[in-house]
Amino acid sequence: MTSMVANGTRGDQSLVLKGVDPETCMIVFKNHWAQVVKILEKHDPLRSIVGGLGGGHGLGGGGGLGSFRFGPVPGDEASAVQNYVEHMLFLLMEEECGQNGAMGPILEFVVMENVLERLFIWSLRREFTDDMKLEQLKMYEMLIGQARQPLLHHKPVLKPLMMLLSSCSGSPSGSSSSAVETELVLLLNQLCCVLAKDPSVLELFFHTSEDQGAANFLIFSLLIPFIHREGSVGQQARDALLLIMALSAENHVVAKHIAENTYFCPVLATGLSGLYSSLPTKLDVPSEEWHCLHREDWQQLPALVQFLNSLEFCNAVIQVAHPSTRDQLVGYIHNGFLVPVLAPALHKLTLEEVMTTTAYLDLFIRSISEPALLHTFLSFILLHRHDNVHILDTLVSRINTPFQLGTVSLALFRTLIGLFCEDVMLQLVFKYLIPCNHMMLSQRRVLRERDCYSVSAAKFLALTPSCCSPEVIPPPLRKLDSILWSKGTDGSHIGTMESKEVLSEEDDCGNSCVIGSEIYLDVSYLHYLYDAQNSISHCMRACRVWSAPYDGENPPPEEYQRNTLEEADLTATPGLLELEWDDSYDACPTQLHPEEDQETRPIPDEPPKHIQELRRTAIMIVKGSYIEESEFQNDVMVYNLVAQKDAHDSAAKQEMLDESVTDQKTTNSESSISNGLSSPLDEMDSKKRGSQSNHKSLEGEDLVAQYEELIRTLGAQHSPAKTDSELKSPTDLMDEEEDEIDFNSFSPETPEAEKLPSPFGTKPRSGSRGHAVPFTGPFLSVLLSRLENMPSNSLHVNLLLTGILAQLAAYPQPLLRSFLLNTNMVFQPSVRSLYQVLASVKNQIEQCSANNKDFPELLTAAQHCLLARESSLRGQTDRIKTKPNIQPKTVVPLNKTEVYAAVLFTEFLKELAAFAQEHSILSHLPTEQ
Amino acid sequence: MVERSDGEEQGGPGEQRSSPAHPPFGKKQLPSIPKNAVPITKAASPASSTESANGTHASYGPFYLEYSLLAEFTLVIKQRLPGIYVQPSYRSTLMWFGVIFIRHGLYQDGVFKFTVYIPDNFPDGDCPRVIFDTPVFHPLVDSVSGELDVRRAFTKWRRNHNHIWQVLMYARTIFYKINTMDPLNPEAVVLYDKDFQLFKSKVVDSVKLCNSHLFDQPKIDDPFAISFSPWNPAVHEEAKDKMFAYKRLHSDPLLTAPHNQRWAEDYNKGPLVSGLSWVKPGSTQPFSKEDIPLQT
Repeated sequence: MTSMVANGTRGDQSLVLKGVDPETCMIVFKNHWAQVVKILEKHDPLRSIVGGLGGGHGLGGGGGLGSFRFGPVPGDEASAVQNYVEHMLFLLMEEECGQNGAMGPILEFVVMENVLERLFIWSLRREFTDDMKLEQLKMYEMLIGQARQPLLHHKPVLKPLMMLLSSCSGSPSGSSSSAVETELVLLLNQLCCVLAKDPSVLELFFHTSEDQGAANFLIFSLLIPFIHREGSVGQQARDALLLIMALSAENHVVAKHIAENTYFCPVLATGLSGLYSSLPTKLDVPSEEWHCLHREDWQQLPALVQFLNSLEFCNAVIQVAHPSTRDQLVGYIHNGFLVPVLAPALHKLTLEEVMTTTAYLDLFIRSISEPALLHTFLSFILLHRHDNVHILDTLVSRINTPFQLGTVSLALFRTLIGLFCEDVMLQLVFKYLIPCNHMMLSQRRVLRERDCYSVSAAKFLALTPSCCSPEVIPPPLRKLDSILWSKGTDGSHIGTMESKEVLSEEDDCGNSCVIGSEIYLDVSYLHYLYDAQNSISHCMRACRVWSAPYDGENPPPEEYQRNTLEEADLTATPGLLELEWDDSYDACPTQLHPEEDQETRPIPDEPPKHIQELRRTAIMIVKGSYIEESEFQNDVMVYNLVAQKDAHDSAAKQEMLDESVTDQKTTNSESSISNGLSSPLDEMDSKKRGSQSNHKSLEGEDLVAQYEELIRTLGAQHSPAKTDSELKSPTDLMDEEEDEIDFNSFSPETPEAEKLPSPFGTKPRSGSRGHAVPFTGPFLSVLLSRLENMPSNSLHVNLLLTGILAQLAAYPQPLLRSFLLNTNMVFQPSVRSLYQVLASVKNQIEQCSANNKDFPELLTAAQHCLLARESSLRGQTDRIKTKPNIQPKTVVPLNKTEVYAAVLFTEFLKELAAFAQEHSILSHLPTEQ
Repeated sequence: MVERSDGEEQGGPGEQRSSPAHPPFGKKQLPSIPKNAVPITKAASPASSTESANGTHASYGPFYLEYSLLAEFTLVIKQRLPGIYVQPSYRSTLMWFGVIFIRHGLYQDGVFKFTVYIPDNFPDGDCPRVIFDTPVFHPLVDSVSGELDVRRAFTKWRRNHNHIWQVLMYARTIFYKINTMDPLNPEAVVLYDKDFQLFKSKVVDSVKLCNSHLFDQPKIDDPFAISFSPWNPAVHEEAKDKMFAYKRLHSDPLLTAPHNQRWAEDYNKGPLVSGLSWVKPGSTQPFSKEDIPLQT
């Protein structure tokens, strides 16, 4: 019966109605109504009620409504009413507006006779079941959706509708059937669409609700419970709410009401917390390469999809809502979700949990776009302290952690840097560069100088390892991708393209580049230049909103220098213990807050619990996996070795802690502590790698190689240029381990830098701490320190690292640009420049190639593998230009990291050179204000 | 050749830092090449370049040259030289087309087109040459070739100190301040000293002659050559309006020059992006702007 209204024989009826004159319709309508009234009155115990329910009736509770019921209504009468009503509704819907917007006669009759209210009461009188509600809801849905004249302006239409809605609000969402909910939300959505088209109705709704004395702005309140609902119901509810939000931006009364009298914002924000709690705390990581949640990852997780829907909704609300709603919402998100939920989740006990949270945070930031919401997330990351440590510092320190936490953290920073947010870049990079302490005094005026003759680019490219030089390997790829530049003057064959793979847009490029004599050039370099130009100009435009140029004058270095020095003295205390595993922190105090920080923070004398726990778990993971596979003799040996080292470390740690308590002036002590703390994981990392290479690769990776790597990580980790002869044989080492295990390198008396002179400059690891050691900040340091390990990093780590450095290289601010790209700058001895690190990598690669006869062949093969990888990745994204997949002839195993690193390194040099060249043009273009 | 470049490959960082105890990889250590090594842009035929071990310079030298010239060009834009417009040729960045408008003085109303030729070992070679399309009657301009005596102002071209904008500036100055020392056109000097009136009338004739050739086809066939055409409202009115609208908007007369507009277009291409900043100007504290309420 009820379904009659819903699925509508209406189509036929309207056909019938066509051509029928309005008078006839009116007569039919009146006739029907007369029939209905007969039945209604027959069952009406209190005829006086008809014509208006008193304002005093509680509409809030469904319970009260039951009292209207007066004896059962016979089924045949009920269905007769139903039939008449249906016909009447069609007539009403089809009626056109009267002249000059006046009501049509039927509508006028409906209003006069209070038809709809009487029908509502009639339905109450019968058992007000879900079916009844459904019937009424559908009736209004149809009326509002299809009527040809505005209905909602008329109180006799609006009032019963509000009564119906409020009867729906009475029932807790659980008790209503899902069919009712679906229909209710559909109707509400439709009402909101009407509101959006005709804001004057908003006032009516608002005030009608007030008249009732019931919950204000019923439509809105009814929608709130559906905010976080999944599926189409939730989506409709959110869409409807957004329409109201947009209206409220223009209507102060409504906005105020939403902010002050509804639970909209708290429900929205705390709902995020609720949804977050149902997310998996550990992700099933598909592969070791995995480092961030892509669409295809999160689409597999319904809970995550639901969370993102709600987050997206918050973003949309903030976009359209009145500022008061917006401010309230971001406040609740900060205080109701980020601080109480996300902050602890970022400090969970296991690596996997922390890694998962980090990946979530990265995804969340990528999913939002509204500045106010980004502000909330970013200020949480930058300013919030959990256990007295800024979230940002914790995140930075994790870049250096083993396993995927490190790479997931890197991916998060890739996202953050890509926001072009001054506040982020200030905290990550610029606050350390502003004082200009990292460079020689004389260099300050060079800071803004332009590299007119591509000197820096030439220096970067000159770092190309000899094994990768364009002439040493003229791989087939290069021949394909080369371009013939010919002298322009003869004009006949200009820019002959030799390439078969070159894209058409390069024609211009090729043609305009005709200079010099005929030379084969690496066409890929043109791509790098093109990309560099795009990213730099993109970045420059984005940074126009920044407050300062960061050019070594503004902000003025002098103002921040003294502060920094003082801070350095202040913080040269074991406060560093708070940080996890990051040995790059050693160089300098981490918490440099030039302006703030008058308050002296309490300094914990041991690492916060969560860090200890995290570390313990990490150790257990590694050891656990080792024990499992301990049938391998080699592993057992390595394991023993590390266990001994661990024992030493924990002893050392205790010692150091004692020392630091008694003598806090011993400036070197904390560097030893943090070294002591950081080493177990470093060695685990190597252990892990060692074990992997042992199990996975059986080609030539022998025990000695493993030990070499281990030793390198333990002691000589930071002097990669050490020659083979210096590496001790395993047995020697075992003996030595008994007494000291390289422990000297961690002791305060012999700073590592002195002990192991590196040909490439000392690292700012354990210099004296009494004065402020020039320092470029933990973020840059940790990036460079990971970059220095390029040859042993896995391919995807190197891709991430070089990607982030390329992102940074696009920033036009002279302070950063000069630090990264000006190879002529002279920095303080304790500061490692990108160029120095690259030089070190080059030498490691040269060494690898010198030690391996097969290196050239491996390089060429790796190049093919990378090309194949690239084309397969391309194929995933655009199907139009699917080239036949290049299948490399020989697959170089990914654990030949040094081979891949060599290829990547060479390409990275080109990328950096391209950035340097493009900066010499773009960063000096006169910009119009 | 091979050895030198090899030395450079290894020398770069190692040379400054390597300690005697750690010879780099036990390989031969070769003397490094001088600091200001010239990028090789010449005399490398395809065949010989593949033999050269100095991969990077051989392969990338042209890129360095190209960007050096681009940098020079942006310097020109930055200088906002009054009445001078230049445009690199389409075929070679070593050749620039230019025009000078003289607004007062003896050469008033002169519109002189010229071409700048830059040596392909720039910035380590000779100074660029400036040749007027029509030989202007001037003591420092060769009456046959139209070449301006640039070398007297730039006896030796010094990288980092000399820039092409200075040459352009010089080319303009000669028309306002006449120098008669060591002339390329002795006849002009004789008249200048002996019969200034005749000199003046010859200058006027020369200006007229130059201007009468203004609408000639450019001497060098190049898409980017500067060509003048008589005022045609159908063609020029709209462009002029645009330029003046742009001028009003940016109040920067020089940016209205067509090539600068092209630059500006390039510069602004791509989707509109905005970064984020809540840093109060003058502060180095994140989220220090007051108008954003901070959550407490």
